[in-house]
Amino acid sequence: MSSAVKTDRSATARSGRLTRPWVPFAYLAPALLLYGLFLLVPLGRAAQFSFFEWDGLGASTFVGLDNYVAIVQDEQLREAFWHALVLIFFYAVLPLIIGLVLAAILTRANVRGMGFFRTIIFLPQVIAMVVVAVIWRQIYAPDGPLNGLLRLVGLDSLTTAWLGDYTWTLPAVGLIGTWVSTGLVTVLLMAGMAKVPRDLYEAARLDGAGAVREFFSITLPSVRGEITVALTLTIVAALKTFDLVYVTTRGGPGTSTTVPSYEVYRRAFELGEVGAAAAVGIVLTIIVFSINAVVNRIGEKK
Amino acid sequence: MKRNTRLASMAIGSAALLLGLAACAPGTGQGDDAPESDGPISTDISGVGETTLTVWDQEVRGGQNEQIEQLNAAFEEKYPNVTIDRVSQAFDDLNTTLRLALTDTDAPDVVQANNGRNTMGAFVEAGQLRALDDYADAYGWTDRYTESILQYSTYSEDAAVFGDGNLYGLPQVGEVVGVFYSKSKLSELGLDVPADWSEFDDALATAKSAGETPMLLGNIEQWPALHVFGPLQAGYVDAEEITNLGLGNSGASWATPENVEAASAMQSWVDSGYFNSGANGTDYDAAWQSLAAGDGVFLIGGSWLAADLADAMGDDLGFFVPAIGDGSLATTGGTGLPFTITSAAENTDVAAAYIDFITSDSAMEIIAETGNLPVNRTAELAPTSGVLADVYSAFGEVTENGSLLPYLDYATPTFGETLGQSLQDLLDGRVTPEEFTEALEADYADFVESNE
Amino acid sequence: MKTSALERGANYVILIVFALIVLGPVGVIFTLAVGPQSASVAREGRTFHWENFVEAWEVGRFSQYMLTSVTVALLVVVIAVSASILAGYALGTMNFRGSTFFFYLFLLGIMVPTEAFIVPLYFDMRSIGLTNTVWGVAFPQIAMSIAFGTYWMRTYFRSSSRAMIEAARLDGAGSMRVLWYILVPIGRPAILTLVLLTFMWTWNEFLIPLVMSPNGSVRTAPLGLAFFQGQYTQGTALLAAGAILVALPVVVLYIFLQRHFIKGMLEGAVRE
Repeated sequence: MSSAVKTDRSATARSGRLTRPWVPFAYLAPALLLYGLFLLVPLGRAAQFSFFEWDGLGASTFVGLDNYVAIVQDEQLREAFWHALVLIFFYAVLPLIIGLVLAAILTRANVRGMGFFRTIIFLPQVIAMVVVAVIWRQIYAPDGPLNGLLRLVGLDSLTTAWLGDYTWTLPAVGLIGTWVSTGLVTVLLMAGMAKVPRDLYEAARLDGAGAVREFFSITLPSVRGEITVALTLTIVAALKTFDLVYVTTRGGPGTSTTVPSYEVYRRAFELGEVGAAAAVGIVLTIIVFSINAVVNRIGEKK
Repeated sequence: MKRNTRLASMAIGSAALLLGLAACAPGTGQGDDAPESDGPISTDISGVGETTLTVWDQEVRGGQNEQIEQLNAAFEEKYPNVTIDRVSQAFDDLNTTLRLALTDTDAPDVVQANNGRNTMGAFVEAGQLRALDDYADAYGWTDRYTESILQYSTYSEDAAVFGDGNLYGLPQVGEVVGVFYSKSKLSELGLDVPADWSEFDDALATAKSAGETPMLLGNIEQWPALHVFGPLQAGYVDAEEITNLGLGNSGASWATPENVEAASAMQSWVDSGYFNSGANGTDYDAAWQSLAAGDGVFLIGGSWLAADLADAMGDDLGFFVPAIGDGSLATTGGTGLPFTITSAAENTDVAAAYIDFITSDSAMEIIAETGNLPVNRTAELAPTSGVLADVYSAFGEVTENGSLLPYLDYATPTFGETLGQSLQDLLDGRVTPEEFTEALEADYADFVESNE
Repeated sequence: MKTSALERGANYVILIVFALIVLGPVGVIFTLAVGPQSASVAREGRTFHWENFVEAWEVGRFSQYMLTSVTVALLVVVIAVSASILAGYALGTMNFRGSTFFFYLFLLGIMVPTEAFIVPLYFDMRSIGLTNTVWGVAFPQIAMSIAFGTYWMRTYFRSSSRAMIEAARLDGAGSMRVLWYILVPIGRPAILTLVLLTFMWTWNEFLIPLVMSPNGSVRTAPLGLAFFQGQYTQGTALLAAGAILVALPVVVLYIFLQRHFIKGMLEGAVRE
């Protein structure tokens, strides 16, 4: 009897220690089943596939780590991973810098119409990437609006075929990412900055701090958490760039815009290098997790 | 402690579950597509029950789309028991999705597969296409087509040999790559239609100095430049050598002075500013639209553009093939993508009847009426005026007295990509003509060696 | 906080510039979409060619693709959200051995890129005959949505009032009753946010339908648009119109329920 009372009390204290231990699992079961079957199992299978050479048609051959060795040796794959790093700059770093400045300026002064502005700059996040890609392919066309604008302001020398130029195509694709990410990052940072107590700023001003010092000594440290989140989200988005490249350049010109996720698709389903594609996918996952871990570690440390 | 062991055991348990589910290696348990025993074939399909025939084509351009729609409707009318489920997509999209589609359990019945080793060759090797020789006998296709056309749809069963062996498909249209031009622009510049490559070069120079864009090219897709390089190469390299290179058969080489010369000529066009700026970043379709809009003088392209261009330009449009050194015509061309039957096709009789129908003599008339170049009966169906008259006579002249050269990307499974990327490099001036031919030779030699 | 009139003015300038940068491309596509689709149509001289939308809808087969998109999105939203509510309820309100493990297991799924598991998934789905079916396109997205949804609902249930749950339970209500009659009704905003985000991600997804329906029989709207780009060779007006049609459903939802979208995407990201 006393043990029953004890159980009861602990149930109250810890809210819901259950008498029937299978109950939570019954609630978990549908989610776990679907999630396990269609995400976890395939992930395990990907790891397994990556040790085989298989063309997707006939029998497979176990090749050990060959597919991973190939990733290091294959110049085109190395290039693809390098492009992904460049895209991280455009998807994550550049929006963060713009977002920080923008959010800091906007938070200092209360301007009317903020809600409306927020709605607009967040808009690219909800437009399907394919639509975004179709739009920008038109904008970047040699006789498209971007070159038209440059000519209008007398910068004819800057005009180029944005998606056909070895130097400019990767940045051009990256800038589409910047266009998409900046709104999210800015809104996130503004939400963080809004939580900073006003009197902190008042005190700083009494000490004679200018806008710049105020930014570095108060604003920046207090949105550390939001910066971490923004970087995590945008870096993952950069590494997962597939639709954008598929619709705009298919990796061209030459191989100047190939990215790992496009290589996964191309190798697995166009070239019939299924094992190699799985290996690229696994490496991509490891990179995503590592970058997340590093970003979060830095975010916590300071 | 207890909690930790429990957690660990759970983790191990789920790991074991994963492995258990994943026990079979990739490629096992897929059930090797056992070749269905080919029963007796029939050319009479009026008796089969309600059937849906799934057809994948890439006939998306104006005139092409029109002919296939008319023919599909006529076929359905003739055989009310058959419904055609048509999936059409652009050339690029067909190429990227076809491999996946053919390996799928629910594959289409009839597909248009590019002749080359990277497409038809790969599918033949994987046993995904059905050899059509029995139907060819039954329908008399070998009488309908000339041998030189059918060879481009012919592979040995292991796909090692291209151009000899079993027949895998039938094309509807002929193709010839040449130069489209604006007649009014030419007369403004005081030029006649260039007869050969050196006159063409002079015409380009004249157009350039008059402030025109001499030549339009949209090469964002990478393959359009192949159709510029192909005819140009014919001006420098022996036709037989090009055919060997193009079919990926042994005994030829890219690393020859002649090929380097051809590549230099192409690069010099870039250096002289003959192309529209940013050709590598221009859409293929934007380029011919520019010609139609009067923004350029010449455009090197395939006869498949004639219908769309004529629609926009009318009588102002002309077409020619520059002659090579000995005065004959040699250029890239051949046939449109052949229609093939997949091994997964549910009713091959219906599929064969469809292919027979859309390549029949009366189909050729519809193909001609809709502004395309029929692969058979070309001479008798030739129109008397307009750009199509030019196209028909060029095709006739090239096939009868000149050399119709294969598309260069047929050569190896990766050649389309290698050549496309190398041409973009060449146009951008990132590689020298020597480096260009070396890159191509590497791909070609590799393949020839592995094939022996 | 006091700021000078100059600073305030500068702020407006910055706001307007950035709004224009975002809206510029949208304006470009809109201008293209209502422009003339060919030279002969241009000669008619009208400014707005609204018929482009009708024609794009027909030529691009968007009625078929939109229907597929709606079907897939409904399946994913209903199944993933239901499963997430149940799982989030277990992880958020019940104490049991392994709950932390399962939480991290689901968290893993939020970060795994689709590219990592799509390759084997396709081949395994093919061998069980699920490719080229709506289920084949829906299941992987259900799995991905469950990873996020469980995380999201757990956060909501943890913040819900313990006292209320206890009170209900003392009244003899079973755990199912507590969930459906107390927590779900109060949690409608959180659930609505989850529904909207899941709908948006499913609608906009490209790689999964591309791979899972190789024969094109289950082609969703974004896929239809990508293929329309190569298929329609005459100009850009219809392509632009098609692009607007594909983006419109989510954009309209966003305009009316933007708080949910922004809140969901910002808070959903903030991991513990």
